[in-house]
Amino acid sequence: MSAWLVEVFEALFALALAPGLVGLIRWIKARMQSRLGPPPWQPYRELRKLLHKEVVVSDNASWLFRFAPYAVSASTLAIAFLVPLIVVPRRFDMIGDLFVVVYLLLLGTFWLALAGLDPGSAFGGMGASRDVTVAALAEPSTATAIFSLALGAGSTNLGAIVVATLNDPRTVLTPGHLLAFAALFVVALAETGRLPVDNPATHLELTMIHEAMILEYSGRYLALLEWASGLKLFLFLSLLANLFFPWGIAQTMTPAALAWALAVLVLKLVILAVVLAVIETRVAKLRLFRVPELLTASFVLALLAITSSFLLR
Amino acid sequence: MDVLFSQLVVLGSSLTLICALMLLWHRHVYAYTTAFAWQSVVLTGIMAVVAYFERDAEMYFVAALFLLLKGWVIPRLLRRIEQPLGDEQELRPYVNTATSLLVCALLVLFAYAVSRPLVALSRLPTRAGMPLALGLIFISLFVIASRKKALTQVIGFLMLENGIALLAVLGTYGIPLVVELGVFLDLLLGVIVMQLVIYHIRDTFESIDVEQLGRLRH
Repeated sequence: MSAWLVEVFEALFALALAPGLVGLIRWIKARMQSRLGPPPWQPYRELRKLLHKEVVVSDNASWLFRFAPYAVSASTLAIAFLVPLIVVPRRFDMIGDLFVVVYLLLLGTFWLALAGLDPGSAFGGMGASRDVTVAALAEPSTATAIFSLALGAGSTNLGAIVVATLNDPRTVLTPGHLLAFAALFVVALAETGRLPVDNPATHLELTMIHEAMILEYSGRYLALLEWASGLKLFLFLSLLANLFFPWGIAQTMTPAALAWALAVLVLKLVILAVVLAVIETRVAKLRLFRVPELLTASFVLALLAITSSFLLR
Repeated sequence: MDVLFSQLVVLGSSLTLICALMLLWHRHVYAYTTAFAWQSVVLTGIMAVVAYFERDAEMYFVAALFLLLKGWVIPRLLRRIEQPLGDEQELRPYVNTATSLLVCALLVLFAYAVSRPLVALSRLPTRAGMPLALGLIFISLFVIASRKKALTQVIGFLMLENGIALLAVLGTYGIPLVVELGVFLDLLLGVIVMQLVIYHIRDTFESIDVEQLGRLRH
């Protein structure tokens, strides 16, 4: 019973800390650009403000428009239960493995694309078509990189993969592992809408991908969508951290181990946030026609990961 | 220790392969020279690892010479060729970037398929890197075939040399010193001759696009 409670607490912890992660990345970018920037807890203030605001819905919108924020938030929250954050092995592993996570992400993308198309605005349609293109191109890389991890661990259960890496620390240095990390990192940038694929801070509609789809939203719907996108970033980064560098994660249910795992997770996320902020400050946004090249390169890296890990078995 | 040796070698070989992928991913010829220089440095590292684990003192000398020639002298020559040309970019290759990357993936898989009997029969700890070296050779050949700028083709040829050297290091722990010195001398002379030819092409055609060589009128 307590194992299930711990894992539910994990998901709520992710939900609570996700806007803070987004705020932290924004703050680091601001400091790197010699600005003071808003404090890292600014997204919480924004969410509170949005929850009090009135919802304005276009006359052309249908039930899809009102339903989509709930669908996107629900699918992202479901992923939060499946990703190993603090403790392995997981009870929730019997409910879903890595493929379920990938397809829950795709479910969220699908509903968001529909929501962008629904009001009939030009920017929404453009954002939806771009987002679906990026998602379609990122799919092979995700599947191949996941497959290389699963080959190494002998199972597609996330908890089992983490346990396999913990039991054999030498796998971290293998080229298969590192190439899969590089491929999944590029996919994470593409799926969560960060530079160089999509600028999350842009105000120019013609350069938007994710923001264009949520352009028509206001009030609590916008709050849900912003929270869901922050949670997606949190989960992607913790997936990268815990699948590839799992040290510190708790394998027993003692309070000391759990507290330590929590602290180590926060530390890993801070490090990844710094890396992400540095990349976003250094790199310019790619032209849309260059994004397939980036995602194809990530696919080639994932393929190399599979061939190296398959051959070394 | 054998496992560490094998892992380091495969890691190094994968890095050299990724440097070759940079030739198909980036557009600026300046990036190609940097990729080649880094690939040579990684190859020197692999040679040093092999020399350490096989206790071969001669290999250290070959690695030092390799680093000097391919990590410093030849990239300097290449930069000297690039400077009067300005910012050369591979804007319209015969095969576009995304397709080239996919073809590279297929070539690496092909290299794995072709070298399976070799890897299965070999007892050396470096056998896992041999398909990657073969893949590097195939990718360099593809670069020479699919790119239009003469300078890209020269760098592709130099990476082909690197691939052959890597295969030699992994498969037979290097070649005799005298042969190695002969190869280095030939390579250096080859690059100098290619430099002269590129200057001639540029003087005649105002660009180093090799497609121009096939046209009768200008």
